[in-house]
Order: sequence, then structure tokens, then C-alpha cells
Amino acid sequence: MAAPSRALLTDLPKGHEFPPVTFTLTPEYVLRYLDAVEDGNAIYLERGLAPPLCAAASGLGKLLDLVELPAATLHTGQEVEVRGGVPIGAAVTLTGRIAQRAERAGMAICALDFELTPAGAGGPALTGRATVLAPAGLAT
Amino acid sequence: MSVAPVVKQLSPEQVGRYAAASGDHNPIHVDEEFARATPFGGTIAHGMLVLAAISELMAETCGEAWLTGGRLRVRFRAPCRTTDTITASAKPQVDRDGMCVYAVEVRNQAGELLISGTVEAPAGA
Repeated sequence: MAAPSRALLTDLPKGHEFPPVTFTLTPEYVLRYLDAVEDGNAIYLERGLAPPLCAAASGLGKLLDLVELPAATLHTGQEVEVRGGVPIGAAVTLTGRIAQRAERAGMAICALDFELTPAGAGGPALTGRATVLAPAGLAT
Repeated sequence: MSVAPVVKQLSPEQVGRYAAASGDHNPIHVDEEFARATPFGGTIAHGMLVLAAISELMAETCGEAWLTGGRLRVRFRAPCRTTDTITASAKPQVDRDGMCVYAVEVRNQAGELLISGTVEAPAGA
């Protein structure tokens, strides 16, 4: 098996900062998301605002693109706070960090904090924390 | 305010669509052979896919207030099978600091608790 080219999430220390990532929350992405979760509410497109969990999932996905996840990683908790909403079509900058890390019985518990800030905005439009549980010290 | 529950019949096909949309291709969600060898004994749905039923419920109940000022804090209590029928429900609590507060949960067809927590949205929006 080839060695992972990226750091394992469970090897990252508390306080680790991920490099900022800028991306666009495109209408196509939002439509794919709405189709996948089978949410037919028209309010998102009428108001031009992404579903909060769509924005959170996109941010979390970008963050987890930066690390290797053990295959048995489990999502155990989620927090989201919307601060104005994430406009569909906006370029947003994602920042994230390992807010907490603990190890128990061979399992690592990691809390990843992330923020999504639209271009030109004075602060984040959405913040979140994902807590995951994964075997500590294992390759994928 | 009473809140009508959201009921969803999941399927492996839908979980596959969510994996494609989100980019989360963890084999525990999409690889039946891999998942059979885990303690779960089969594939499970993404937590964020199951949680989306709560967000849908809150968008229906609170409208734009949910999209611009919602807060959510939940724990994933048990795995959700990719063929489960899930019911997301919300019980209004006492409003706090200008926010409508709801205790939320998602259960499967057997009544097993999959997700629990609280959500808030600005009142009077």
C-alpha cells in the first residue's frame, strides 16, 4: 500500500490550522445537493441562499480534502451557526483548524472548527464544528 | 407552533448521489463489501445526509430565518442504514434570547434514535 501523501487527520495536533481555501458555492453544486437530499423547498433558490447544511457540507468536504481519513472514521457530532447566510454563487473562503483532539482506547476524537466567509464580507457567514471518531495511528 | 415531521425513505442510490454531491466517498457509505466487514455489517448513510432532514424541517418551519440565522447542535447517536425510513421531528421549547428553540431528533422505522440535539432560529423573522 502506498504511503498517504497527506497527513492523517488523527495525526494532526490540537491547534493545527488548515490553509485557507477559496471556492465558489455554485448553483450547480446547490442543485446537486438538493437533489441528493431530496429537499424540494423552493426557498433556497428564491432567496439565493444556500441551505445551511449544504454550505457546511461543502466546507467540511473541502477541509477533509486536505487530509487522509481512516476508512472507519465516524461523524459523531455537528454544530452549525449561520451568520447572515451563504449566497448561492458567492466565492467563499474556508478556514479551519483542529479545535480539540483527545485519544481514548485507541480511538482519536477530533473536533474540526471551520468558517465560511464570502468575498467582501466583514466576517464569516457560517461557522461550524464537526466532531469525528477514528482509529488512532492507522493508515487508510 | 406545531411542526410537521419530515419522513424520508433512504436508498443506496440516494446515498450514492449524496456521496457524489458532497465528495465524501468513505467506503462505509458506498462500498457494501467493505461495510459488511465492519461492526455495522453493511453500508450506513452519511450523517450529514440524515441531518439534512432536520434542516429541511427547519426551512419549512422557520423559512428565511433558518437560512440567515439558524443554529444547530446535534449528536449522531446511532448509524442509519442506507435503506432506513427516517423521521425528523422538532418540539418547540421556551424561546431564549430572541431565538425560537427546538429539541430535534431523527429516528428510524424501528423507533431507534439516530440524531438528537437542538436547533434555534431568530423569532419573529
